[in-house]
Amino acid sequence: MRRKNTKTTLLGVLALAFVGQFAVSQGYLLGFWRKNYSPGGIVANNLDPSQLALSLFGFREFLAGMLWVRADSFFDQGNYDAVLPIIRLCTILDPKQIDVYATGMWHIGYNFTDEEQRSDRRYIPSALALGKEGARQNPNTYEMFFETGWMWYHKVDDDYGQAVKWFEEAAKREDILPARRNLLWSAYQKAGRPDESLNYLYDLYDRAKGRLKDDQQFGNRQQYDTIENNLDTMLVRMVQRGWVAQHSEEGKKNNWYANGAYDTKPPFDVGFSAKVTVLSDRVLRVEGTWNVLPVGTRIRIVLRDADYPQAKMAELDWDSSDSVNLDPPRNLTFMQDQLFVRNRHFNRKIDMSKDPTMYPFIAKNYLVEFYYNPRSAPPHIQDKFGFNGEGFTDKNFLRTDVRETIQFKPAKFDDHKFPIEFEQIPLKDIPQRVMYTTLSLTQEQIRRKGEWSDKTPVVKTVNYVESTDSKDKDDVIYIPNLRVSGTGDAKAPAEAPKK
Amino acid sequence: MGAILSISTTTVGEAIRRRVLLVILMIGVLLISIVPALSVLSARSDLTTTISSMLFVLRIVSVLIAIVLTVYMIPNEIERRTIYTILSKPVQRWQFLVGKYLGAVLALGLMIGLMAGVMLILFYFFKHPPMERMLDLLRQAILYFIEVSLLAAVAIFFSTFVTPLVNFFLSAGVWGVGSLLNPLYDSFANNQGSAPIIRGMAKFVTSILPNFSNYDVKNPIINPGVTIQNETTYYLGTAGYGLLYITILIIAGILIFDRREV
Amino acid sequence: MASEPPQGGVLPLGAAIETRQLTKTYKSRALGKINVVDHLDLQVEEGEIFGFLGPNGAGKTTTIKMLLGIIYPSAGEGYVLGREIGDMDVHRVISYLPERPYYYEHMTGMEILKFYGALFGINDKDKFQRLLEKVNLAGDATKTISQYSKGMQQRIGLAQSLLNDPKLLFLDEPTGGLDPIAHTEIRDLILQFRDEGRTVFISSHELSEVERICDRVAIINKGKIERQGRLEDLLRGGRIEVIADGLNQGFADTVRAPESTVSFHNGRLIVDMSEEGDVNGLLDGIRDAKGQIISVVPRRRRLEDLFIETISEKKSGGEAA
Repeated sequence: MRRKNTKTTLLGVLALAFVGQFAVSQGYLLGFWRKNYSPGGIVANNLDPSQLALSLFGFREFLAGMLWVRADSFFDQGNYDAVLPIIRLCTILDPKQIDVYATGMWHIGYNFTDEEQRSDRRYIPSALALGKEGARQNPNTYEMFFETGWMWYHKVDDDYGQAVKWFEEAAKREDILPARRNLLWSAYQKAGRPDESLNYLYDLYDRAKGRLKDDQQFGNRQQYDTIENNLDTMLVRMVQRGWVAQHSEEGKKNNWYANGAYDTKPPFDVGFSAKVTVLSDRVLRVEGTWNVLPVGTRIRIVLRDADYPQAKMAELDWDSSDSVNLDPPRNLTFMQDQLFVRNRHFNRKIDMSKDPTMYPFIAKNYLVEFYYNPRSAPPHIQDKFGFNGEGFTDKNFLRTDVRETIQFKPAKFDDHKFPIEFEQIPLKDIPQRVMYTTLSLTQEQIRRKGEWSDKTPVVKTVNYVESTDSKDKDDVIYIPNLRVSGTGDAKAPAEAPKK
Repeated sequence: MGAILSISTTTVGEAIRRRVLLVILMIGVLLISIVPALSVLSARSDLTTTISSMLFVLRIVSVLIAIVLTVYMIPNEIERRTIYTILSKPVQRWQFLVGKYLGAVLALGLMIGLMAGVMLILFYFFKHPPMERMLDLLRQAILYFIEVSLLAAVAIFFSTFVTPLVNFFLSAGVWGVGSLLNPLYDSFANNQGSAPIIRGMAKFVTSILPNFSNYDVKNPIINPGVTIQNETTYYLGTAGYGLLYITILIIAGILIFDRREV
Repeated sequence: MASEPPQGGVLPLGAAIETRQLTKTYKSRALGKINVVDHLDLQVEEGEIFGFLGPNGAGKTTTIKMLLGIIYPSAGEGYVLGREIGDMDVHRVISYLPERPYYYEHMTGMEILKFYGALFGINDKDKFQRLLEKVNLAGDATKTISQYSKGMQQRIGLAQSLLNDPKLLFLDEPTGGLDPIAHTEIRDLILQFRDEGRTVFISSHELSEVERICDRVAIINKGKIERQGRLEDLLRGGRIEVIADGLNQGFADTVRAPESTVSFHNGRLIVDMSEEGDVNGLLDGIRDAKGQIISVVPRRRRLEDLFIETISEKKSGGEAA
């Protein structure tokens, strides 16, 4: 009897404890764990069973460390394809290994090239996705924000608003190294926002001065000098390029820009023209004119499927992917290169025949895009073109609808007050003046098949003028002096007002 | 209470003399000791690698010790007939079982304490970490102790009705699945594409099996800088969860053991 | 110990152990159901040394385990010191020494007593010391069990079994595997227990030992009690050997009977017959035939004979069936 009672009591306690553990586990622990301790990004189908077991038992970091050592040997052998999955694995196993994210992103973005050292840009959305993931996983350190910004700034070298966004985020992290802050001022400038660039330079200047005051070491002195120098140059350029005249209150009131003599006035016509000749299967010759004498112009050329899904004008939608896909669309073609201008001409052979996997040319129709963004121009050319291309024009191919100036503003914040979503604000009053035009080619033309097997396909812009002159001569086009002498009173203030 | 205490202290005395356990323990201490040298694996994430490897060794060795110690505890008593002399005294079976379990927990505490001590000392001398990280490590070690206490309860429960060998794999299996629960649940819950039935299953399994993954909180320890709100409450929560689940297992074990022919 | 008798029946005073139809059934895949202990009726009086005899595998240990509540009966009932078996209060006043017991080897003799003492709530160092002296281990109290000989281990076992001054002791093969000197020591201790008024229940297959010390025995075979009673009663019914000379074959043939063995050689007759047989008639016959009686020797039965008789009877009976 007593035994039976005891048993009933025990069963009761057991049931209560069971309900209790259920409540504690489901009601509290699970949620808390997922929020704070979850490794995140566990993607089971990327791991073989033993790796999965090891990783899920909580030994992920250990495994990731071992794998990363292995990846190193593949790097040494140049076996880049083998490195890719390891990078992915390591980041899945240990999303806190910033080295892997940074190296992996750089690897995906830069290392896959064709025989002529052109990057396979079909990978770039994935490289950026890896950067975004790395930043999400490591929101407390500046590194992945900086690295992702760098990818926009240097590799994409366009859409500088994105570089600004990432560099701004990096600069918010307390652990950022002083020198890593510097790039942001340049990014602001390339994004068409020299006023913010100037303000940021003042901020950098104050910081450098403060550090130098605390510690007279060489590095601090050097940093201070660099920033001071940059600040001086920036002020001079803002005046010279007429930015102050155009944008300061006083300048606007007194019509300084209209009346003054500025380097950027009047806009300079670059006179673009181009001809594309298909020399043989997948080999093109691209030649044409660009009426800028000083060395330093690189015109972007893109050859891609006419209906490439993520394509925008003269670029892909680089930010299109949030998931890292190591297998780029192998049935699509996207070639991007630069045409280097010498003596106001460009003439370049583009040989894609050695890399049929990168340039499969499966689709029927192709687009050749020519694109020039004065914001990417080197400073000595920008002195004429202005920060925003206000001193730049092309009587045939000037476009202001190709790129928007976008400012990203944090819209949603995570628990640590870091933004996780951004609002895109188009700055309509800062239009991007670019040169853009396209030519069309068919698959048969590029592959020299069908009717084109014994006929040389040639496509050209309507204004292209065949010249019999030697291309080495520099008398093809009249060369105006880049420094146009001003007509009005140059009364711009010596220093731009600090906001 | 005197009987339980007496049985548990005797169990500790026996456990710390078991050669196989001492060998595993020695290997654990040895592995922890060579970890500081492993930091070459990743020069920049030196601390990360060191902490994660040390905790890796601590956890796996503790789990192994817990299982090996516990699966043989009851069967050995029966085989060597010590249980007859004990049960012929005024000792209830539940007292015997609870005493044995507490002895196992005490022995585990001693062994994990030793390994954690070595870990903390080595970590301090080789890496000169801030005190906060030392405390983080200590906290994780304590959570691992609760984890293996729960695991010992699982093994004791099974040992009331299966043979040691079967128990070894059963307990290891339960621990294996139990330490996957949160990550699996997490990945199903995050992946909106997974079928509702699978997500339901994940939820069901998570609420039935002992959830060992609750005790794996080393992410922020390895990657500090994240401030976690109310972490103490979580630690208390996991301890409470552990106690509740241990209660379940021990009561179930008592109910089975009470009718068991020994 | 509570004075109120437990539910389930009260035993007549004086019975230390009583079982009624106590049965333990095991299921085996190969052999089906086996009654390891088969409707056992056992009665052990208080203050006696009771021998529980049987070959290996007869069900002795199973019975003891049931009486101790370590395993549960499949059927029937049993009472120990007036309580239903399994009653925890009874465990305070009984004690058990298993066959070839194992003690935690890392402990010393003294620690063993402390450990088992703690299970009763006893922490009396003087008592432990007295018990060690009693089993002649006082000098080895600080040695660990691993350093003890088998005999010493058995004696420390006896010491621990005396911790609670038990009214009833269960000793399972107490002399098993011991040398003759150890035998004697253990035997003396057991006799001492009886003198102290304790009931001793000895399970054994070493019959000479049991014969020397037991008051009553039960013989169990294949789970069933074959004989049970006072040793004197069971051994009653010995044999008588008659030897005579100067007789012829014809006479020898007349004395042959089913219960007798008769041998005749060169005029010498040897008759081995039951005590209950007609000894006087035989002697008269020899005298009438002019034979010379050389010796008449009564031979008392030994427990071994009884045991073998019982077991072999059972065997042949089983075969016939």
